[in-house]
Amino acid sequence: MKYLPLIRLLVNRELTLRYKRSVIGIGWTLLNPILTSAVLWYVFSFVFASKLPSGQQFAPYLMAGILMNTFFNQSLTQAADSIASNGGVLTKIYVPPQIFAISSALAGLANFFIGMLPLALVCLISGQALAWSLPLVVVVGVALAFLTAGLGLALSILFIRFDDTRNIVNVLLMILMYLTPIFYPVSVMNSTMQTIIHWNPLTSYLDIFRWAFSNNATPTLFSWIYMSIWSIFALLLGTYVFRKYWPRTVAML
Amino acid sequence: MPVIEIKNVNVTYRVLMNKSSSLKELFRDAIKGKARVLDYVALQDVSFTVDAGEVVVILGRNGAGKSTLLKVLAGVLPPTNGSSKVNGKIAPMIELGAGFHPEMTGAENVLFYSALMGRDIKSVKERTPAIGEWAGVTDHMDFPLRTFSSGMVARLAFATATDEKAEVLLVDEVLSVGDADFQEKSKKRMHELINSGAAVVLVSHDMSAVRELATRAIWLENGHVKMTGKASDVVDAYEAN
Repeated sequence: MKYLPLIRLLVNRELTLRYKRSVIGIGWTLLNPILTSAVLWYVFSFVFASKLPSGQQFAPYLMAGILMNTFFNQSLTQAADSIASNGGVLTKIYVPPQIFAISSALAGLANFFIGMLPLALVCLISGQALAWSLPLVVVVGVALAFLTAGLGLALSILFIRFDDTRNIVNVLLMILMYLTPIFYPVSVMNSTMQTIIHWNPLTSYLDIFRWAFSNNATPTLFSWIYMSIWSIFALLLGTYVFRKYWPRTVAML
Repeated sequence: MPVIEIKNVNVTYRVLMNKSSSLKELFRDAIKGKARVLDYVALQDVSFTVDAGEVVVILGRNGAGKSTLLKVLAGVLPPTNGSSKVNGKIAPMIELGAGFHPEMTGAENVLFYSALMGRDIKSVKERTPAIGEWAGVTDHMDFPLRTFSSGMVARLAFATATDEKAEVLLVDEVLSVGDADFQEKSKKRMHELINSGAAVVLVSHDMSAVRELATRAIWLENGHVKMTGKASDVVDAYEAN
């Protein structure tokens, strides 16, 4: 792979550049999920904590959800934006443009793994042991990277062609977030909502992640299959859409 | 075998007539049947070859298709029809410092720019101090690029772009970089690269530089080749026009 060093530089840049001017730098990657979780924990623990099955703690349940949602949201929007924002380079030097979207997804993956350190801490503090299946979080992470890179590639074409897609996507992402059991247990919803949440692909990813990390959910075989299908489908869709429309889209950069 | 081979290249851009760049407008226009698409022809049936050691200049007014042609040669813009073949490594100097980031240090930018051009990272790392020295910014290499003056940025970009030998140089108006001293220096380096057998395609409005450097010229007008031949002849005709 000729472009591996470039991907490494890009991921590195994305990880360090965001906090370049801040005092604690990359420390924010650790702090951000903790702070967001703390706020939401304070707000929602009264309502939802008691609704979880016994043996599951609300704090790690919530934080795992936030961690994964941040990964998905940030990487997806960044991957979709990466090609438009690097248009200056892409119209002057030949590099496969897909590299930028892939790097965004990989940077998100790296942040996801870094964020698991504070998550582990929260697990232990709240008295929940890490699960023996912990290594499987790598599978979820890679599957999510596939999903975001694929969807991001497809969206990047739309982002360049139509400015409005950004706003539409933001709204859709918000809806998707509420349809993912991030800060509530699925059991509090009525049966129609439960069905919708069940078919939301992110629910499968999240169930597997929570289970793999600290036994905080019960994924089924369906979750695994559904996750795999979505990841592969997204990647195929993204590469296909991008290949097909890029030659005409590059002229618009 | 020629280093660059361009055969019957056409490039058409698709432009929406009423330029609706929002989905809503496009949707509205589509319903009313108003979304008319216009094919804007940027290049039409352009063919030529460039051999090693040749310096070909592309002349033409703004909008004649010069930049589009360079983009096709660089491989960033696939031609709508026809074929474009470049054998060998390209040093794209279409815009110096494309991909430079103000928050990264000089050294980091050299590395990143080189990686974009597909160069070997290890050897670039070793070369970085030499590149900085040649550009005359040694003392600044570890500071963010935003602290550089624009002349320093241009010098660093030129030094990086020309640091490695390439079979093909694509140059868009970047010969007049920096102060007088540096211009002398960069001109010398360009000559070295040309003498080492690089094929050069040059876009420039600086006719004296063109006469000095170019061996052949291609005059583009509205996307097609109006005249091609010895540089001095074409430049004469172009200036008389």
